[in-house]
Amino acid sequence: MGEACQIESILNKDYESVDLVSFQEWIENIEKLSKLSVGVIIAPSDDVFLIKDYLDSLELIVLDFNNFDDGRGYSQAYLLRKRWQFLGEVIGINAHLDQLQFMIRSGVTSYVLLDSYIGLNEEDYANGFSICYQEAANNSGLQQKY
Amino acid sequence: MYQYSTEDSKFLVERVDQFEKQLKRHLAGDLDDAKFRSLRLRNGLYMELHAHMLRVAIPYGTLSSEQLRSLANVADKYDRGFGHFTTRQNIQFNWIELPEIANLLRELSDAGLHAIQTSGKATRNITADPLSGLTEGEIEDARPYCELIRRWFNLHPEFSWLPGKFKIAINGAKLDETALRIHDLGLRLVRNGKGQLGFSVFVGGGLGAAAMIAAETASFIQVEDILSYLESTMRIYNLKGRRDHQKKLRIKFLVRELGAEEFSRLVDEDWQQTRNDSKLKLNLVELEQLKKDFALPIRPIGLVGFKEKVDFNYSIWKKNNVRRHKVDGFSIVNISLTKLGAAPGDATSEQMRQLADLAETYSSGELRTTKRQTIVFPYVRKDQVYNLWRSLEKYGLASPHQGTLAQIVACPGRDYCDLAKAVSIPIATRVQERFNDMKKLLDIGDLNINISGCENSCAHHHIADIGLLGMQKNGEEYYQITLAGETLYETVIGKKLGPSVSGENIVDAVETIVNVFLKHRQNQERFTDVFKRIGIAPFKEKVYG
Repeated sequence: MGEACQIESILNKDYESVDLVSFQEWIENIEKLSKLSVGVIIAPSDDVFLIKDYLDSLELIVLDFNNFDDGRGYSQAYLLRKRWQFLGEVIGINAHLDQLQFMIRSGVTSYVLLDSYIGLNEEDYANGFSICYQEAANNSGLQQKY
Repeated sequence: MYQYSTEDSKFLVERVDQFEKQLKRHLAGDLDDAKFRSLRLRNGLYMELHAHMLRVAIPYGTLSSEQLRSLANVADKYDRGFGHFTTRQNIQFNWIELPEIANLLRELSDAGLHAIQTSGKATRNITADPLSGLTEGEIEDARPYCELIRRWFNLHPEFSWLPGKFKIAINGAKLDETALRIHDLGLRLVRNGKGQLGFSVFVGGGLGAAAMIAAETASFIQVEDILSYLESTMRIYNLKGRRDHQKKLRIKFLVRELGAEEFSRLVDEDWQQTRNDSKLKLNLVELEQLKKDFALPIRPIGLVGFKEKVDFNYSIWKKNNVRRHKVDGFSIVNISLTKLGAAPGDATSEQMRQLADLAETYSSGELRTTKRQTIVFPYVRKDQVYNLWRSLEKYGLASPHQGTLAQIVACPGRDYCDLAKAVSIPIATRVQERFNDMKKLLDIGDLNINISGCENSCAHHHIADIGLLGMQKNGEEYYQITLAGETLYETVIGKKLGPSVSGENIVDAVETIVNVFLKHRQNQERFTDVFKRIGIAPFKEKVYG
């Protein structure tokens, strides 16, 4: 097992300090790590179905949205939050301002924007619309027309 | 006619506001080219060879006169006075200035028009039958379903960043005017043994370099379950579709690699988790309302004593352009925009306004657009067809070409598009010049020639009787010929004839093919009938012999 990286106070006060491991590390050390209340970082290419049965033992799950055009993270968020009802935070890292609305509605509960967006008004993008046209993991605050 | 509600209009404005902010950031250097590309494509905006191209959706191919006038105004104000009707029920403007785009989109939104998801790796405008609601034997007018499904994929949070573009077609008629099995996903309205309404679902069709016919993944999905089934299909594609190879992004490659059976199994497995979710059921109350909104604005009329005018030119035009309507006393009129030397599908703003006026007078203010880049007037009284024709003649819009070989479908080609390998429109013009004898055209009958300037296949050359695909060979333009593709009765990808033919000789080759067809034709056989009967050899022999 490689050294678990530590990330402090991502966004939510409840998670001031949680050890994070990569998806690969988690898969290789499930027995041990599932007792340690760690968080796991999932890349778009990781098969999220492989952690489905261990969600109770995870503190939080981090999804990586760095690649602007890779939309797999949205389905991963949906599966975790909506279908499997994961109760911990689903954190989107390397997030892009223009995709916040999609991330949040797909089930991401908090996010860390890439540095390049610092200084721009997040609200404009996170809540750019008044209406939504389909059921999703999180439609709060939106008029629902479907 | 169906119109967007106040909240829908508000949404369109919000979308423009958001895009304007993104554009400003891009122009200020705060949003890089790659990300802006991804965002602008989802708003229909392309950077073309000479300028910017905007693709505006014409949902279900239906336009009101008012909407067409708005498009004409856009053509005048922001373009060079014309627009281009595409093969997928969109209209494109080719000379748009970047800083003006937001104002243009705002004007469109006033008319209930938009360019949302007309491009990019997202779900595109749905292709619908341009004769929806008009023909005998139709299961149902598909447009209310198109609208509900359009809403569903509109900025869908989970499926807006797919591996590749995603095109849907929906057909409710007997004949398939939508070519649904060459779409990423095709829905055919059907009734099961109990008389219930549902959809047959076909996935993984597409043209391009690897043309494929969509496989049936479900023979019957009840109407109210279609959104959850679509969602599962998209989810499997989003998670498992190829993202590692630029040429394998479309869902057809995933379906081919997994096999249609395995793909269907995965979709079904996912669907079992959601099919009973009440929030994913199609809203049947809304559906009923939409059926009312899309109901035909006409009732049967008895035309006692009506006698059709006797006029040679009118008869020729009528034979090729007027179709039987299911409502007594009415006709469906097809209007060809084809003109020698002009890009097929091009219309000037003046023509758009003339068509808008005529539609108001003769067709309850409604028009439809088709994949053959023509305009349909859906509700013309039989006793007014002659007057309509006179007006069309006056405006130079009474081309009798529709339904003949001269109604060529061509993409903009290398003259306008930086993806194209060869020209398209000049080839179309030369073919039209070669076949400029109306008597001969009538003798040949309905024969489709489609010309694409590259493998992206925007002109759908694979599904034409004679398809031409432009390519480069040693720095010169060549054309690969495919024969006997079709979609109306069954879906068949055209067969390659042989080695590609030079631009210089391609029109001779087309003429030779037509002559082989005429020589072997029996009775009223169509091109595909003859091809099935005699095979490819006689064509090959004459073209390459």
